[in-house]
Amino acid sequence: MTALLAQSGFPEAMTSLTLYHYLFISAVMFTLGLIGFVTRRNLIVMFLCTEMMFQASGIALVAFSRFYLEYTGQVFVIFVLTVAAAEAAMALALVVLLFRRHETLDGSVWSLLKG
Amino acid sequence: MLISPTLAAAADGAHAVGSAPGWVLLIPMLPMLAVVLNTLAAVFRVRTKLPAWTTIACLAGSFVATLFAFMALSGQTSVVTAWSWFDLSWGTGQGQRFVADFGFYIDNLTLLWMLFVTGLATLIAVYASEYMEHDVGKGYTRFFVAFALFVFSMTCLVMGDNMLMLYLGWEGVGLCSYLLIGYFYKKPSAVAAAKKAFIVNRIGDLGLAIGVMLTFVHFGTLEYAQLFQSEQLQGYIAAVQEGRAGDVPLMAQLIAVFLMIGAFGKSAQFPLYVWLPDAMEGPTPVSALIHAATMVTAGVYLIARMLPVFLVSEWALPVVAWVGTFTALLAATIGMAQFDIKRIMAYSTVSQLGYMFAGVAMLSSVGGVYHVVTHAFFKALLFLCCGAVMHGFAGQLDLRKLSGLWHMKGWRVVSVGMLIGCLNLAGVPFTAGFFSKDMIIAEAFVTPGYGFSFLGWTLLFTAGLTAYYTFRVFFRVFTGPVQYEPGDEHHGHDNDHGHDHGHGDHAHDDHGHPSSESLGHQDHGHDHFHPHPPRFAINFVLATLSVLAILAAGLYFVTPEKHGWVGSMLESTTAHNVYTADHSAAAMFLIDEDAHAAHDTHADASHGDHAAHGSILGFDPHKVMYYISAIFGLTGIGLAAYLHGPKGLVSGFLGNRVEAGRCRMDAVAKAFDPIPRWAENKWYVDELYHFLFVRPLWVVAHVFHAIDKLFVDGLVNLFGYLPRLLGRGAQPGQSGVLNGYALSMAGGVGVILFIVVLVTL
Amino acid sequence: MVLLLLIVIPLICAGLIVFNPREQAKYIAAGGSLVSVVFGVVALAGFDWSRGNVDQMLVSIEWAPALGLNLALGVDSVSLLLIALTILLGPICVIGSFTAITENQKTFYAWLLILQSAMVGVFCARDLVLFYICFEFTLVPMYVLIAMFGSSNRRRASTKFFLYTFTGSVVALAGFAYVAWQHAAQTGAWSFDMAALGETARGLTAIQQAWVLLALMAGFAVKVPLFPVHTWLPLAHTEAPTAGSVILAGVLLKLGTYGVYKFVLPFAPEAVLNYAPLMAVLAIIGIVYAGLICWVQTDIKKLVAYSSVSHLGFCMLGLFAVNAVGVSGSVLYMISHGLSTGALFLMIGMMYERYHTRSMKEVSGLGSKMPVWSTFMVFFVMASVGLPGLNGFVSEIMCLFGTFQSGPWTGEAGITPGATFGMLGPVFAAIAGTGMVVAAIYLLYMTGKIVWGPLREPDGHHHHDVLPTDLSVREIGVLLPLAAGCLIFGLYPLPLMKAIEAPVNDTVAYVQSLNTGETGRVMVWTAAHDEGTHTDAAHGEADHNADEHSGEGH
Repeated sequence: MTALLAQSGFPEAMTSLTLYHYLFISAVMFTLGLIGFVTRRNLIVMFLCTEMMFQASGIALVAFSRFYLEYTGQVFVIFVLTVAAAEAAMALALVVLLFRRHETLDGSVWSLLKG
Repeated sequence: MLISPTLAAAADGAHAVGSAPGWVLLIPMLPMLAVVLNTLAAVFRVRTKLPAWTTIACLAGSFVATLFAFMALSGQTSVVTAWSWFDLSWGTGQGQRFVADFGFYIDNLTLLWMLFVTGLATLIAVYASEYMEHDVGKGYTRFFVAFALFVFSMTCLVMGDNMLMLYLGWEGVGLCSYLLIGYFYKKPSAVAAAKKAFIVNRIGDLGLAIGVMLTFVHFGTLEYAQLFQSEQLQGYIAAVQEGRAGDVPLMAQLIAVFLMIGAFGKSAQFPLYVWLPDAMEGPTPVSALIHAATMVTAGVYLIARMLPVFLVSEWALPVVAWVGTFTALLAATIGMAQFDIKRIMAYSTVSQLGYMFAGVAMLSSVGGVYHVVTHAFFKALLFLCCGAVMHGFAGQLDLRKLSGLWHMKGWRVVSVGMLIGCLNLAGVPFTAGFFSKDMIIAEAFVTPGYGFSFLGWTLLFTAGLTAYYTFRVFFRVFTGPVQYEPGDEHHGHDNDHGHDHGHGDHAHDDHGHPSSESLGHQDHGHDHFHPHPPRFAINFVLATLSVLAILAAGLYFVTPEKHGWVGSMLESTTAHNVYTADHSAAAMFLIDEDAHAAHDTHADASHGDHAAHGSILGFDPHKVMYYISAIFGLTGIGLAAYLHGPKGLVSGFLGNRVEAGRCRMDAVAKAFDPIPRWAENKWYVDELYHFLFVRPLWVVAHVFHAIDKLFVDGLVNLFGYLPRLLGRGAQPGQSGVLNGYALSMAGGVGVILFIVVLVTL
Repeated sequence: MVLLLLIVIPLICAGLIVFNPREQAKYIAAGGSLVSVVFGVVALAGFDWSRGNVDQMLVSIEWAPALGLNLALGVDSVSLLLIALTILLGPICVIGSFTAITENQKTFYAWLLILQSAMVGVFCARDLVLFYICFEFTLVPMYVLIAMFGSSNRRRASTKFFLYTFTGSVVALAGFAYVAWQHAAQTGAWSFDMAALGETARGLTAIQQAWVLLALMAGFAVKVPLFPVHTWLPLAHTEAPTAGSVILAGVLLKLGTYGVYKFVLPFAPEAVLNYAPLMAVLAIIGIVYAGLICWVQTDIKKLVAYSSVSHLGFCMLGLFAVNAVGVSGSVLYMISHGLSTGALFLMIGMMYERYHTRSMKEVSGLGSKMPVWSTFMVFFVMASVGLPGLNGFVSEIMCLFGTFQSGPWTGEAGITPGATFGMLGPVFAAIAGTGMVVAAIYLLYMTGKIVWGPLREPDGHHHHDVLPTDLSVREIGVLLPLAAGCLIFGLYPLPLMKAIEAPVNDTVAYVQSLNTGETGRVMVWTAAHDEGTHTDAAHGEADHNADEHSGEGH
């Protein structure tokens, strides 16, 4: 892994965590979330995956904030967190309602927009 | 050179065109007034005979005005304009102005025509006032509106001072004809006949319209006064007279050809004659006035009026002559085999119109026009007699079901009228019809032309046929034992007339000969049906017309040096034939190749030389024709008497018919079997037309409709369908599944990122 | 000012309708359209007819000066007569719909009035953009009228009507934009003044003019409609409510022919000459083809709709004859067709209200049941057939005459007296003339079925509870002005003819002047006829001219 990073031009000295480490984590989390969202059918899992992508972007924002010593990024994250919380409440409620309709959590059942 | 003096006189009488006094407008406007008043009567729902009296009064006024005009303006050419109709100019040069006034042109030709048109119209209106009385409160007003409108249109046709007015009248009479043929509009056959008449006429009208347009384009004017005096036309006539007929431009020659098509339509000549027999679906006064005496002679009028234009065309007049003769023969053969007396008269009208056309075309415009006049009287008389019979016998027109009217009480006037009419039509010596027909036939032998003497013999033969079928009607219906059977319907209306006793009570067999049991004898016959003989109005009109038909013969002896009164009338008009006095000039015109030679001979010879004068069997046709045609006519009558005459007509030899439906003819018909049957079916011309024209056109219309729906509209719909097709292509992307959208979104972002990276690197 | 009023009054009344109770809608509409008639008469009286070719009653309000846009209004005699026709049909449509429209009355009458404003706007606009806006805006009210108040297939019909005509007009807009752009390029300032643009357009080369012509024709031919872009019309007519059909036939189709008269002829005279044979052939195909299609219809409304295609063919033919008689005939045809065909649609509507069918198979012989209706029907049929003495004849025969004159009349004596310079000729006129016969066939066929014959009514038919068996006084009142118009037009068309003489001659002069110049253009004429191939020779000539123009430089 280190060699890989070194190859792709990462700083060699691993004495401290650099911005790249945070961004790497963020990217990995986002990709995982995306893959999960695309591949899984379970509505709750899909929802969790979106949350994961959210948090990935949050990490990136905080990391940049810290890097540039500019607090706007952190403020954003606070906003995102609150919105995400509200959204989670809404989304879970919707999922419950959808589950009541069809007694399943399979997302592919809901394809009313099929052209 | 013989050009100038005759020519100047010919082109239009050399009379300056004056302006006629304003009161002449009464002639067309009084019938128009009748139209307006009758329309008001319709609006206020007048349920009396008022419309008839209004019409009679107005038409009589119009006739009187014509008489005054005749006395005051005879021999002059004058114009009176009511108002300006078309007037458009686009420059100041010759022909750069499109003018057609609502104006009237008075010369002897129009006066002659108007005299018999208004006179006959008045008489027939009187007749119709009684004839149509069952319709008082129903169609009576409608009838007289159309009737008066017809007379108005006819005045426009005859008196119009330009070709568009002629066209207005031409189509106007067509409309009235349509309305009146379809008068009994609940009868499908009447509706079909009306439609047919209008459409067939329209085909002719198209020809006329093209002729009118050609005239304008070629001569730059539509007004007779200017047209006939135009230098161009005079030049053409001169060219023809000098034997240079080829110098006349093709366009100018075509004018006459197209006008001729118009004339064929209106005057029911082959191949456009088919509408006229069907037109008998209309009430009989209409048949008499429109479809026998006046409207159908409009074609003859057109040729007479435009004779200078016809004379410069190499083919128009010979074609007219051939077509006229052929029509005369064809219609006569059909008329011989019909059983419906009105239809027989209709075919005889077609046939006689053929004579008139042949006459005018063989350079005897006087003969043609004279025949128009005499025919107007005797044919109107014949039709009105048929109408009286039809009226009295509840619509019965089958000559196999009527017999012996001569001997019935109250039918004497009708019978005598019919006899006079038949004598005229058959061309019995010293009747008007005899003289006028002779003039035409003699001219056929005199005028050299492409096979004109053959046409003359054909016309003579046809005269014999005419005499035969005419007297066939007379002998069958008016002589013999008194037998009759009422018609199936009463003029085609509802059967709610109080007097309609015979209706519906009898079961008649419609085909074949009626059995004698079903025929009622007057003495011990039907309780249910009593024929009602005509009353005063009808009898009065019949008597008047009989007298007029006889007197018309007298016209022949007025100014005999000018070929009778008609000749003296036509002398100052365009109908006056440039070549009448000079048959060698006619030869130049009609036979091109010998033209110059003949002309030179003539120029060298002294006047009065008859070198180029045609002959019949070596005699002068003008003199010997009286005898020849008399022989043909009397033979025809004799044949009719032998085959159809009643027993005891002439000491038992000539006729042996003892009942209405049987006579010697039956055996003859059987002997020649299919021919009389084919003739009765009109040689299947209607069927042929249907097969050749109507059906294909109908199919084409359907094909067009299909093309329109499938192809033209289909292409449009295809264009409308294209966006939808594109959508269909993109549709699979819209799976409706959330994951799919997410994937495509991610993919999209990826692609964008990729591009960004690619660009920034 | 009166022109502005003619546009504004219907709009105000439409507003009033919206804010007033439903029951009053029709009376407000009738009142509004009658007031318009009054002002229409004022306009007619105030017009100086001796200078019919000059735009009068000008109104000009600045709109967007930077773009050269003005709200410019004005009329010459042709425009004014078409406005008069529009305004005359206004109350007729409103009053004629009193019993036919029972639901959504406010919507119906409001849109009807708005439509009238738009149509008047088209005819009096003197600014190209204003013209185009009004031209396109007429689609909206008509769309609503068809889509909401039509018969069973109304959705499809309205959509097709809108999309089809709209698509065509967009191409025409491109043509206009091109001319405006050329103008801006040449003068350095944007202007949409119609007269100025015309001037520019005439200065274009033959090839450029050809493109302008094709673009404009794409818009106007669809509207006319010219074969083969006519198929929206029968559908729209059949589905539209009676008033919609009357307006559609009476005025909306005339927007197309008016466009050709007002823009195509003066903007692209040289191209008109080159393309006249093509357009004439399309017009003639339309005449005969649509006429024959009429014959096999069973729906009388569709029959009359197709007959419009056939009739407007004559109108187009006259326009492309580009001589005084032909173009005057066409202008008269626009008015005449509005009267007689509008009336026929009203007649059909009246029958439909009573029998709820338009099929000739179900209804027959109404002559005995509805004599007054039948009388009017026969009258208007005859007007439509082109019977002399009625309106149809005057215009039709003039169109044919014009076509006939406009041809190769050269001979030894040169052009014969009655001939004019043009690309059509007797063959065109003769073939188009068969349309007269075909018209007689299909119209009399229809009359024979509907009016004459034994009475037949639809099964289970019971009479309308409001309407009498025959026509009511209101209906007769609606028809009488049209009938009177037909008759007067037919017997005394002279005032109209004289009124349009000057503007028509002006328009025609643009084309006719091509004959007199010594630019070699006259060769178009002789060369084309010598070789017998009109368009090819004309094209060659056009190329030649193009070279010439480019040589002179812009």
